[in-house]
Amino acid sequence: MKRIFAVLMMTAMLLGMVGCSGGADKKAAYPADGDITVIIPKAPGGGTDTSARGLISFLQKELKGSKFVPVNKPDGGGITGMVELAKAKPDGHTLGMVTVELAMFPHQGKATVTNKDFVSVCAPIAAPAALIVPKEAPYNSLDEFVKYAKGNAGKIQMGNSGTGAIWHIAALNFEKEFGVQFKHVPYPKGSADIAAALAGKHIDATLADPSVFKSQIDAGTLKILAVMADTRSEFYPNAPTFKELGHPMAIRAWAALVAPKDTPKEKMEVLRKAAEKVCNSKEFKDYFKKQGIDPTAIVGDACDKMMADDDAMYARFLKK
Amino acid sequence: MADVITAIGMVADPFHLLCLVFGVGVGIMFGAMPGLSVNMGLALLLPLAFAFKGMAGILMLLGIYCGAIYGGSISAILLKTPGTPASVATTLDGYPMAVKLRQPGRALGLSTTASAFGGIFSTICLIISAPLLAKISLQFSKPEYFALAVFGLSIITSVSSGNVIKGIMGGILGLFLATVGIDAMSGAVRFTADTTYLLGGVSFIPILIGVFALAQMLQSVEDCWQKSQIRQHVSIDNVLPTVADLKRVFTTLIRSSAIGTFIGCIPGTGGDIASFVAYDQAKRWSKHSANFGNGEPEGVAAPEAGNNAVSGGAFIPVLTLGIPGDGATAIMMGALMVQGLQPGPLLFIDKAPDVYAIFIGLLLANIIMACMGYSLIRLFVKLTNVPNAILLPVILLMTFVGTYSYGNSMNDVYVMVVSGILGYVLNKLKFSMSAVIIGIILGGMAEQNFVGSLIMSDGNPSIFFTRPICLFFLAAAAVSLIAPLMMKKKA
Repeated sequence: MKRIFAVLMMTAMLLGMVGCSGGADKKAAYPADGDITVIIPKAPGGGTDTSARGLISFLQKELKGSKFVPVNKPDGGGITGMVELAKAKPDGHTLGMVTVELAMFPHQGKATVTNKDFVSVCAPIAAPAALIVPKEAPYNSLDEFVKYAKGNAGKIQMGNSGTGAIWHIAALNFEKEFGVQFKHVPYPKGSADIAAALAGKHIDATLADPSVFKSQIDAGTLKILAVMADTRSEFYPNAPTFKELGHPMAIRAWAALVAPKDTPKEKMEVLRKAAEKVCNSKEFKDYFKKQGIDPTAIVGDACDKMMADDDAMYARFLKK
Repeated sequence: MADVITAIGMVADPFHLLCLVFGVGVGIMFGAMPGLSVNMGLALLLPLAFAFKGMAGILMLLGIYCGAIYGGSISAILLKTPGTPASVATTLDGYPMAVKLRQPGRALGLSTTASAFGGIFSTICLIISAPLLAKISLQFSKPEYFALAVFGLSIITSVSSGNVIKGIMGGILGLFLATVGIDAMSGAVRFTADTTYLLGGVSFIPILIGVFALAQMLQSVEDCWQKSQIRQHVSIDNVLPTVADLKRVFTTLIRSSAIGTFIGCIPGTGGDIASFVAYDQAKRWSKHSANFGNGEPEGVAAPEAGNNAVSGGAFIPVLTLGIPGDGATAIMMGALMVQGLQPGPLLFIDKAPDVYAIFIGLLLANIIMACMGYSLIRLFVKLTNVPNAILLPVILLMTFVGTYSYGNSMNDVYVMVVSGILGYVLNKLKFSMSAVIIGIILGGMAEQNFVGSLIMSDGNPSIFFTRPICLFFLAAAAVSLIAPLMMKKKA
């Protein structure tokens, strides 16, 4: 009896192994000729991780026979994963996510890897900085806010997600553009803490991704004055963009699916074509909208350009 | 009332119950395995939760969340290897009870009871006083967080088993380790030795696995060497805790659950802090406080009730304010939003049945967790009967695999090995590993909120003394530091 059980177990395990390797058919054309590893340089469950996993599950459905395997490498604040991706064999079987930090860290002396080490597939998210204040605040527009800030130099407590992190740089950019001065209060654990501090009226304003603040904005405890993006958000159609108000600023926290720079053009074309289709599909947009995130469809060259533009902007701003 | 009946209907669907049971099972497994975190379990099953319509996916995630906090205690008690940071305090008395007193069944029975009690208590708090507690949690600004961290650090004196000076030295080591990496308050890079790995700070989980699992394994190897260990077969007749035990720990359960619920509802603080505070308070109020650390039932029940009570508490800011306190609740908030439930002040008005379904789900998750726990205790206890020659290599393998799978990084494995050897030596010198862990957990919180408070007050330290909640915690910290010294003098 025991022996029969052992044989059964062995068979089951063998079958399991065959099942696992079933996706890799060496003779098939790319991308069905083997697993595609996707390095996610952030911990499981975070914003970058969930959007990456969402994107690749849609890509897998679109690219018949392909198998994407996400691998989290959150070491070193996300730098390790990006470096590893840059060094990976450029055969289209190792892709990865990079974040806006790729455009910032090189100019802060934190990393040597830059956007030039990668070619992009697409960016599923590019969350803009939005100016968010408590409902009771005495200002209802960007102009009024700036006027108030000028009268109270260094008094407005501006929450950010850590000194040198993106929303801090957004606030510094704001100061420079409008000639005002804030008191910068860092919340290193992220935007949820800023939301709690704003709702508890411990700080006066923040420039950050509005998706985290959506519950409070919808409930009317917080209000959104303006958005640093090219177009208005679908969720807050009444909030004007900085561009409309005559200040063309675009600070956005993007995450992009990229490949090492020497990946063959044909393979990139396959991926980009699929991404183009996926990013414009209704299911994909719903996936993000349901999480309170404005979906984007920045694919291929446009994504490369966004990464290069942001790199140039942070270079100008952080070097000075 | 109609809403409640609708809600019961939503949960009572057989498929939904199956999802909940499945979630609790997965959660217990992820919790018990060091290196596999709650967030990892949630993230892995999130696509599945998105695919399910309605409550099914949410119930599954609730099950994982509750199960994982409990699961951590199993390995903490049997192997002195906390499966999650929230179970570190459980090793203090749970392991001695299981191994020294040879009562693993009693320890697991107590921890299961305490976990379920804490979870249910906090869910009831969530149901009846969520808006009130949410208001209190919003009062917490940087000075309050700083004071809470200081209070937490003061607990080092009570977990450092006799030698307060060595406890404080361990705590300082932990505080130092917490400073490594990019300082998010100033943007400065500290103690990274120009390596990329250390930019993100020393990973906490590898250290935890090292100083507990690996160090304990080395110790067991040494024990085997010195004497031929005859492992008696421990047999247990009753998995449910005795009435005498229950009577003894009842007040501790209530106190610890209240502490856990309160700490859970403050965004950014979780089971790790709650379990230590609960343990510390249990020790302070106990008649047997001298016996803590030797397998005291209150010492097992307190941290487990405390950390599981965080589950209900943590849902308070999520559901009432739409503000997730940590990674796990953030993932669950995402899952709620995908099902069209936008957490926040409007949720209770727009989607009352769904909110009730979540409440019922949480209650059920804790009950299922207890049933699973009780029925599996006999199986778990068999672990202590496995000969060391088999058990130790398996644990060794697990420490490596667990550490690597946490961040897919060899560097983490090196950190784990170094801290394991260091932990082994420090254990010999009677240093408390819990003190080091408290230092690491609270170091960043204390420092960042201290600096942040001073930024808000333009450098004026009076901000710490003019706010009532802040003052309360600072005073409590002072009392907890001074009291043991005063008591010693009297004795």
